Amino acid sequence: MFGEKVIELLKEAERNRDTIDQYNDEKVRQIIEEMHVLFKMNMADANATTENKSLWTTVQVRHSALERNKRCLLAYLYSRMNKIKTLRWEFGSVLPPDVRELLSDSEYEWFSKYSTNLASYMRSLGQDIGYSGIDLTENLRPPKSLYIEVLCLTDYGKLELEDGDVILLKKNSRHFLPTSECQTLIRQGILKQIM
Amino acid sequence: MGNQSNYLSISDILVTNEKVPCKFLHDLPKMGFLDPASTEDDLKTGTNVEIPLWLAESLYSRRPPLVSVDLPKIYKEAYREILNADACTVDLHKLGQHFYELGCYIAKHDIKGEVGNTLVNTFRQRFRMILSASASTDSISALQPLSDTERERTAGAASTEKALSTWLKRGDCPLSTANMVASHRKRKRAEMEML
Repeated sequence: MFGEKVIELLKEAERNRDTIDQYNDEKVRQIIEEMHVLFKMNMADANATTENKSLWTTVQVRHSALERNKRCLLAYLYSRMNKIKTLRWEFGSVLPPDVRELLSDSEYEWFSKYSTNLASYMRSLGQDIGYSGIDLTENLRPPKSLYIEVLCLTDYGKLELEDGDVILLKKNSRHFLPTSECQTLIRQGILKQIM
Repeated sequence: MGNQSNYLSISDILVTNEKVPCKFLHDLPKMGFLDPASTEDDLKTGTNVEIPLWLAESLYSRRPPLVSVDLPKIYKEAYREILNADACTVDLHKLGQHFYELGCYIAKHDIKGEVGNTLVNTFRQRFRMILSASASTDSISALQPLSDTERERTAGAASTEKALSTWLKRGDCPLSTANMVASHRKRKRAEMEML
């Protein structure tokens, strides 16, 4: 039965709503193949309708299947696109390699363009009043204090602070840092705030 | 075909993938495979087959229509009586995962026009169930008889409740890791443990 493969693809995407899956190259190829077959069969039968009028019903069934497959494929790409947008806001402009490899080449290209667009928009903000841009991914909640205590969750390496000090972020080390400098790292899951 | 705003919605695609009983009003050459009980190449006028809703809707909207759509059993008289008597006893997860959404599509094929009322009545009766499931600590058994959207409503209610209580003790909530980052980590850890 046609239109079934594409449902498997969507169910896969629907099961993991909070994370992004590996782009399913193989299945997308199979579905496009199915559409080519349907289209060819329809071309042949549409040409034959002049002799055999009853074939037009069959052509309509296949045509519906073609439209259905197209809709499902587009929905698949669209739902991934929305997730990729979220990636930019939550992981930042540089994706960790294990996330990067989940995207197809065109998706990664889209991510880079989206990232550049977002960056140049944020840089343009507030220029008329003398600021050189605002990072919208920061300060998602109003800061309660200038300094907070954080616990480091991974071996991150060196971090240079705005005052020029360099600190070493090692797993399980504790730091007392300016909120503005560590909130991005908290969102990326490298640091954790201790209350 | 269908609602334009739903075109890219994965949940709408899954709803329209549900099967509905149909009667074919024309011969369909080469489409015998649609009827699993037949071994012939062609599908004859008058055959009753269960086909996915997307195909049924599309063939029904042709001029002249190629099929007539019948009600799936959960919307028929017998089940409607049960639902109107006490909707809370019905396990919608088993009988109709997309009970309300499918019902909205199917209502126009109901000659008596009673399906619409049944949908509203059912939701009105089950609303208490949804509310108590969202507050329940034993969520697995409370969620069991709920349909897909009912489960979504329940999760929505629970997270709103949680958001309200964090807001009430505002100031105390630490900065936290972004959603997608956290789920990506969790999933990776689960995968690592499986190896």
